[in-house]
Amino acid sequence: MLRFVRDRGATPALVLGALSLPFGLLAPFAIWSGSRSLRRIRSSGGQVTGAWSAGLGLAAGITGLAFGIGGIVFWLFLS
Amino acid sequence: MRRTIARGVAVAVLVVVAAFTYPGAFVVSIVVRLTPAVMSPASGSPGGLVWLHVAHVSGMTPFIADEDGQRVLLHGAIPAGLIDFWSGTDYSVTNPPPYYPMDPAAYDGKCPANSSVIATPPLCQDDIRRMAALGFNSVRLPMSWSLLEPERGKFSELYLDRVAQVVRWAHDEGMYVILDMHQNAYSRYVGRADPAPLGGQKISLRYYTGAPAWATITDGLPSIWYSNTRELNPAAFEATTNFWYNRDGIQDEYIATVAHVMQRFKDDGTVAGISVYNEPQPGWDLSPGFEDLLLFPFYRRMIDAITGLHDGLPCPTGVFMPAPCGYPDLGVHDTRHLVFLDSGWLREVTDFPTHLGLPITSYPNVVLGIHAYTHVFTIEHFIDQKTPPDKASYPWGGYDQTYYWGEREARAIGAALFVTEFGNDPGLDSIELASQLREQELHLTGFAFWTWMENCGTPPYGVFEGIDCNTTGPQPSSGCIRQERAAMLASVYPEASSDPNLTYSYDAASGFFTMRASGRAGDHATFIVVPANVTGSITAGGAVAGEPSVTQIGEGRLITVVPAGGVFTVNVAAAPLAPFAC
Repeated sequence: MLRFVRDRGATPALVLGALSLPFGLLAPFAIWSGSRSLRRIRSSGGQVTGAWSAGLGLAAGITGLAFGIGGIVFWLFLS
Repeated sequence: MRRTIARGVAVAVLVVVAAFTYPGAFVVSIVVRLTPAVMSPASGSPGGLVWLHVAHVSGMTPFIADEDGQRVLLHGAIPAGLIDFWSGTDYSVTNPPPYYPMDPAAYDGKCPANSSVIATPPLCQDDIRRMAALGFNSVRLPMSWSLLEPERGKFSELYLDRVAQVVRWAHDEGMYVILDMHQNAYSRYVGRADPAPLGGQKISLRYYTGAPAWATITDGLPSIWYSNTRELNPAAFEATTNFWYNRDGIQDEYIATVAHVMQRFKDDGTVAGISVYNEPQPGWDLSPGFEDLLLFPFYRRMIDAITGLHDGLPCPTGVFMPAPCGYPDLGVHDTRHLVFLDSGWLREVTDFPTHLGLPITSYPNVVLGIHAYTHVFTIEHFIDQKTPPDKASYPWGGYDQTYYWGEREARAIGAALFVTEFGNDPGLDSIELASQLREQELHLTGFAFWTWMENCGTPPYGVFEGIDCNTTGPQPSSGCIRQERAAMLASVYPEASSDPNLTYSYDAASGFFTMRASGRAGDHATFIVVPANVTGSITAGGAVAGEPSVTQIGEGRLITVVPAGGVFTVNVAAAPLAPFAC
């Protein structure tokens, strides 16, 4: 019988991703955590789950990073 | 099915978090940047001073200007007599009534007695006259929320009458008033823990001021301080945090209070504008989130409320309002006054931007206020008070650092720059005060000096000596004027000029002043204030139309120079400075 295991990095990636929106400094960690988790899930042949959480965390991290960098560039442009 | 719902909820939560935090704030910032500014006709009120506004010229830091578009420098001091400071001799009494009378009749042709039981003397008409005699053209007038709205929802018209009285005095002297919603460590109603728990120290409430008791929610945290620092107080942290998160709707009440004040002065050009929150502390929040997600969005809400603009998103009031939120129009529709936005307290102790401030409003008349306390309250002085200021290892950019970054911050926000506070130990004036004034000349920044008079302290920071602090009996408002300090502050300066890029410098030791500017024929005249103590002869050179005209203003002089097309200079020759009357 197959046992499905949730990847240990999926939930932390989601939490880090959510936190990276108000705390942009966490965005790189969310991206790192989410992408590592997704890689493990994809290479598991379907035995490891959590791709949605990891993917959402990764997306949120990228969003946080993009807005962080965008904000800095905008500030430099305006100032 | 359950999994689909969970995923939907997760996505929804992330979208809401994004909308309420940096992504949402960033999008609103871009929108307000692209929104055309609403410019109000700035026609002067009969008999009033000309209205000021913020001029936005491409490639320049915005600057304060008059109706003719001339760059205006505001020089002034901060009298603290209308602040609701704690008073008394018994520190266990935590809620004494306001010390000075509020009824304007108590100040008509007279001045209540001063006393060492309170931090500062009363503010009387003679104070405004003496400020004008120093060549000041403005006064930053601190007010207290605790006196404006002593009971929730009930504003004190008597206190506003008292504010209006000071505005009238200033008008009579031709001085602008910058109203200031003052606070220090949130409120004098934060309480006082005795004995002090948690390794803290028992506090003195003497310099605490701001919110009324009903708006001071400390959640039972002890009111103590650490390192003898007024701001490092858990009760003040908690109460401040509750304000930023609009606990129990107290931020709504504050906004309503400011709107009520501006309703009163809406058509009065003597009031240059209002400083909507003095020296904002972060409470338990950290930079940059404090400034980006709490403080500056609060400023936008304030501007929305008093101008009627709708720059933020419509959000429910009475609860926590996230960063992208605007505020309902409170019916004041004041679109002529300057709105001064103080940078956060952490920026003031680092002389460095603690966040990357972006545009928050389409309202054009915004002024970024910095408190320039380099080597006075900056972090290196807090850590090591023994190293003299000229040997300090921070700020790395010296006195210039706060101005350099202040200009960049102001440009990013779309605001003019103004020093809403600076001051120092009088014994260090030759270093600290001289350096600040020099930087203000270089950066063409106006100032409000803290403070006009102070009773006691180690030592008192006023332009005047303090009083006898060993007695609690009636006393005069101050000791004698500090001659050297007054001579530095009573400087020669270009009050208004068509050339926003002019350069000038004044030497308080010799009285020598020089200014270089350029102008086209037909440009408005440049006006230069020469206080009474400066006696040197006046000369102008270069492209000026005729001789400079010199008008006697009180005991001082006002130079008027009309440009003729090209570069021109104005000099006041070095000459012995006349002493000030005690």
